[in-house]
Amino acid sequence: MSIRMDQIQPIIDREYDYLMSEHPHWSLTKGDQDLELVAHALRVLLHMKTTPQHPAEYLALVDCQHADGGWGKLSSDKQSAAWVTAFCSLMLIRGNLLLKNPRITEAVRKCVRYFLETQKEDGKWSDPSWADLDAVSHPVSFFDVLMAVGKNVVDESTIGQVKAAWRKGMCFMLDRQASDGGWYDPEFHPTGVEITAHLIQDSIVADMVLTEELNVRECCQKGVKKLLSVQAADGSWDGENVDHTMDCTRSIMLVCSILGTRAQCDRAIERGLEWILKHKCEKGWPDFPGMETNLERTCDGLDTLLKYKVYSQPVTTAVVKLWGYAA
Amino acid sequence: MTFLAKVSEIPAGERKLVKVNGVDVAVFHVEGRFFALNNSCPHRQGPLIRGALENWGEGPVCAVRCPMHGWKFDLATGDSHGRPAHATVYPLTQRDDELYIEI
Repeated sequence: MSIRMDQIQPIIDREYDYLMSEHPHWSLTKGDQDLELVAHALRVLLHMKTTPQHPAEYLALVDCQHADGGWGKLSSDKQSAAWVTAFCSLMLIRGNLLLKNPRITEAVRKCVRYFLETQKEDGKWSDPSWADLDAVSHPVSFFDVLMAVGKNVVDESTIGQVKAAWRKGMCFMLDRQASDGGWYDPEFHPTGVEITAHLIQDSIVADMVLTEELNVRECCQKGVKKLLSVQAADGSWDGENVDHTMDCTRSIMLVCSILGTRAQCDRAIERGLEWILKHKCEKGWPDFPGMETNLERTCDGLDTLLKYKVYSQPVTTAVVKLWGYAA
Repeated sequence: MTFLAKVSEIPAGERKLVKVNGVDVAVFHVEGRFFALNNSCPHRQGPLIRGALENWGEGPVCAVRCPMHGWKFDLATGDSHGRPAHATVYPLTQRDDELYIEI
């Protein structure tokens, strides 16, 4: 690894301070917020291991949960949507491993019910703001985490239902992988880069949990190979897209750690990270090089550095833990 | 009406990001016409100025696809054809070599 931790750590510290200085712009304790941004920020707290100092942030998310167990795009929205509900659910179940708050436990149970009740017959979840593959990948990821670290949250019969729903969702995703290893949606993901990065990291967990017959390892290997093949010479992905470059860099870290293929991926990860560091703003990260900083991308940037910090250690279980797939 | 840009600054097929009254406006010069949209995609605020120019079906180029998550908008109307929100489009007026915007 040519990127040294003594380079990375000061950036993590500075960026975390910056994020906290922007607290009124992402915290539900300060008013109505975009919940995807909130979830991004809560993930940073988790990975910075500062969650125990911020229980109010997680409880505020519980406060705006709808009766059906979901959330909308904005905390004030009345209609629940699958994508953002899954992101919020993930933050609550993971946050509560540390907070152990009974109100959060109950909220997570409501999330489970929401996803069991809204799954379609063919295994997907639908969200008009996202492709079906997006809308299915996040609930699958929530169920991944529930089965890995949160089985005690629900009773045995519910875990049985979760396993069945998870399996249907997983099959929906795996069945739609293209022969070149990527996943695509003609409307939302014509290049397939971002969705492939998301789906390989959501799928790889199946290799740890269950079902050899799903052939997940081969799907993920093909997915990684596809992503490596479309990385630009400068280290970025998808036309210098900062978000998608962060997605690919993080996802490949997890998947190659589990597959045992770090040697083939190390250089691509480093190149991705070098590009990400090169194009950061004075504070935070932009959506594309040269643009103004934005908080959601700043959370993604911090998350990428924090994951790299763990990836650079030789212990694979630490990587798996940081994605929430182990306690 | 507020001055937006010189026509000569945006050749055919090109685009330009202009800040007007604190708003980022993405200006496109497509098929001999100028279009001005709020640069922020209503989905996740992706920058439309970086979007691919496309058509609807077999027609001429008349839409921009957000580079973040693929939402596609009609350049003239902002219509997203089925997505839950539309892009904001601003009326333009051309006076000789100058473009003016209603914002």
